[in-house]
Amino acid sequence: MNAGFKLRAAEALADPLLKVAVERTAGTAEAKRATAVAAFDAFEAARTRAAAIKDHVIAHLGHYLEQFEANAIAAGAQVHWAETADDACRIVVDLCRRAGAKSVARSKSMLGEEIGLPHALAEAGIERVETDLAEHIIQLAGERPSHIVWPAMHKTREQVSDLFRARHAEPHAEETITAMAESARRHLRTAMLGADVGISGANFLVADTGAVCTVTNEGNAELSVVPPRVHIVTAGIEKLVPSMDHAIHLLRMLARSATGAPLTQYTTFYTGPKRARDLDGPEEMHIVLVDNGRTKMRDEGLAEMLRCIRCGACMNHCVVFRQIGGHAYGGTYPGPMGAVLTPTLDGLAASRDLPQACTMNGKCQEVCPVRIPLPTLLRGWREKSWREGLEPVSTRSAVRLWAWVARRPWLYRLSARMAVRAMCLFGRRWIAAIPLAGAWTRHRDLPAPQGRTFMDQYRRRQR
Amino acid sequence: MAPMRYFDEVEADGILPMTERRQVALFVTCLVDAMRPRIGFAAIEALEAAGCDVAVPEAQTCCGQPALNSGDRQDAAALARNTIRALEEYPFVVVPSGSCAGTIRVHYPEILADDPVWGPRAEALAERTWEILAFLDQVCGWRPQGVRLPVTAAYHDSCAGLRELGIKAQPRRLLRAVEALQLAPLAGEETCCGFGGTFCVKYPAISNAITDEKAAAIEASGAELLLAGDLGCLMNMAGKLHRRGAGVRAMHTVEVLAGMGDGPAIGEEA
Amino acid sequence: MSARDAILRRLDTNSGDVAAEARALLALPERPAVDARALIETFAERLSAPGVAASLDRIESVEQLPGAVAAYLGTYAPVPALYLPPDPAVQRLDWSSVALDAACAVDGGAALAVASAAVAETGSLVLDTAPTAPMLPNFLALHHLVVVRAKTLVAHLEDVPAPATMPRARYWVTGVSGTTDIEGQYVRGAHGPRFLHVILIG
Repeated sequence: MNAGFKLRAAEALADPLLKVAVERTAGTAEAKRATAVAAFDAFEAARTRAAAIKDHVIAHLGHYLEQFEANAIAAGAQVHWAETADDACRIVVDLCRRAGAKSVARSKSMLGEEIGLPHALAEAGIERVETDLAEHIIQLAGERPSHIVWPAMHKTREQVSDLFRARHAEPHAEETITAMAESARRHLRTAMLGADVGISGANFLVADTGAVCTVTNEGNAELSVVPPRVHIVTAGIEKLVPSMDHAIHLLRMLARSATGAPLTQYTTFYTGPKRARDLDGPEEMHIVLVDNGRTKMRDEGLAEMLRCIRCGACMNHCVVFRQIGGHAYGGTYPGPMGAVLTPTLDGLAASRDLPQACTMNGKCQEVCPVRIPLPTLLRGWREKSWREGLEPVSTRSAVRLWAWVARRPWLYRLSARMAVRAMCLFGRRWIAAIPLAGAWTRHRDLPAPQGRTFMDQYRRRQR
Repeated sequence: MAPMRYFDEVEADGILPMTERRQVALFVTCLVDAMRPRIGFAAIEALEAAGCDVAVPEAQTCCGQPALNSGDRQDAAALARNTIRALEEYPFVVVPSGSCAGTIRVHYPEILADDPVWGPRAEALAERTWEILAFLDQVCGWRPQGVRLPVTAAYHDSCAGLRELGIKAQPRRLLRAVEALQLAPLAGEETCCGFGGTFCVKYPAISNAITDEKAAAIEASGAELLLAGDLGCLMNMAGKLHRRGAGVRAMHTVEVLAGMGDGPAIGEEA
Repeated sequence: MSARDAILRRLDTNSGDVAAEARALLALPERPAVDARALIETFAERLSAPGVAASLDRIESVEQLPGAVAAYLGTYAPVPALYLPPDPAVQRLDWSSVALDAACAVDGGAALAVASAAVAETGSLVLDTAPTAPMLPNFLALHHLVVVRAKTLVAHLEDVPAPATMPRARYWVTGVSGTTDIEGQYVRGAHGPRFLHVILIG
């Protein structure tokens, strides 16, 4: 994956359509969030409280998981536990088989993506109807999501139009986004309502009632999980909150940070399967609680990352993400949060580029609704990478040599003096090319040093 | 105890009686030392005008940021100890760079937190270390006197200074006192320029894309002069602007404040 | 060892009053300001926000409901057929002026729902499933009509009373179904209703 990152980034940088698509989504999201935040007076204090709520849950995660499980079971749901991604997929596929499912309707779940559920369902020969519009688009394109809130943000409207024309029975007549959305609505409706099983994620798991909360703007989660006989929820164990009121506080942060809205269009709390006299709803509800490295994160100094409520603000504001988009990151999660999570999920050796490809500008931390110290966590990965010898020899040598010299002031002065004189051989004002600095001069000119170092000049002036 | 980082939180008056001259050590930073000593001299000029006696400790070298950001904690700690030793006897340490000041003020206590001897020394130094524009504005309460520069300038908020140290209003307050200087609004003034220390040479293509966008915004602002508080960022942006053939010049804010704004900009012969 | 045991073993056992700590975290939470003396105006304003895009009608008594519904449906051609939930409070009214559908159409129709509460902060309607209130029609319909009593309008989301027993689903509807999945452009009626019409009684 390592050689892959630079290659993928280069491909992304060479794609002008991607840049247009990213600006239209992430750029818009940035502006909308700013408006929403400006309108919420106590937003900064609300961030602090949101972080405190999540920290409290993380510190008492065992307690809340047990409480949630007990209440969910009391409400008639069945609760399953999965340590690994494979375990989780196995449980879901088994449940689908037991339900005799030939097709499942899925609403968007990044956790589902993380554990590889689409692939597991395909292997099991179970048809997967993606009901979220963006997930439908990438399913048609055979791609993975490139953003956690807008999975298809890398696609321009023209690309979507081509896909729909090729694959929808009654595609759009006009080349408008409205017409395309209607085409998807038509195409998906029957399949969605005819699915045997509905699979959703969970934005929150409410401990004191055993409720599962989903938020969507389309209403596709409800259409996916209400008609079928079986509703399966896949959720990371960090999604717990103590009560609905705690969820409300976080929901206020989530919607504003993700799309700039005060609240999502549909916010639903499901507590167990249908009641005896209900007119619709699933007869069985299964909740699969997934660890997949989350308990490990607590132990490895990454507890703060478990605060994440998957809003996407960090990547929307990340200068690197804005240039390379989501696929370049090569994992389930892109952007700053992806750079922290991917080494846990896929191993540091396979993903060491991600924590490195960051300017440490700190904007991500500034906009995170739960105050995750993303740059600090990324630096932690850099330190681990260094300790484990994963960094290239050239970097290690250069940094160690620099530090060795810098600890010896007399040697440092001498080296600086010589380096400055050497550089001046390549130009007295601007240097367009110079050995060893190709990475700089390929793209920008290098201003020549003045000729004598400050320390030399200062010493001279003191005499 | 976490050191107080944001300069906004500091009440500037009452730090020292105004009758004494403040004893200040200048930590010049390796980039300024090698690439643009003028900034160091401008810093001294401004600090002396603001009522300080400036010393330049001989034993200073590099704050250790390259090691810190590369994940080489061991070397970063060694350089931290070096730097602390070189600077800790001074009541104030002033740095013409937000990222280097941030390294000393924010990161030294973190790196040395587990060291019973050096941890407290790092905290002590952190409390006395200031980025120069914040120091001139908030501690000295100084404004440039009789400094005139009839140009339109754009201000870029370097990330470390902005987000680690809260440098935002201080440079603008100081520049407002420069006669005839106009500040043009810069779209995305808080957006990272793409330098990122070693990032720009480790991931040059991505850095270039970010810097290109920044340069376009600077050109669109209509400014003739780009100002900021960090030489790394300035070299990155100036180098890109020059490669693009834009006429925008660049220099460090303290050069303008010290009355040296009419001198050669970055890349112009000394 | 089961996965459950393996996971729980890696997590802390508890000390301290977890519930009290959780409650303390919600003391005086930050909320968007809502003028408690102008709840209806605030609610109306939120309904008309572009991201919500709902229309509002006000009637004095529930007897006027069929008339108000007919008036709304009549503005669309063809007039959508209406699905009524088997709620006696609604069924007993005189619906002779409205074309009814016994079952909600898979698409294109209208569905009426009775909200448990409304929230001024966000312009949300709170709906609960019940033997008299199915959930699916509210997502299948093209036109979603929600009737709610003004006295159930509260300022903030937390102010909505919890039901005596949790229904299968409690869902907040805040505007019409929409999506920005294609190029970030907002489109209404992604899967759910394209139109939301709120009828406020009182």
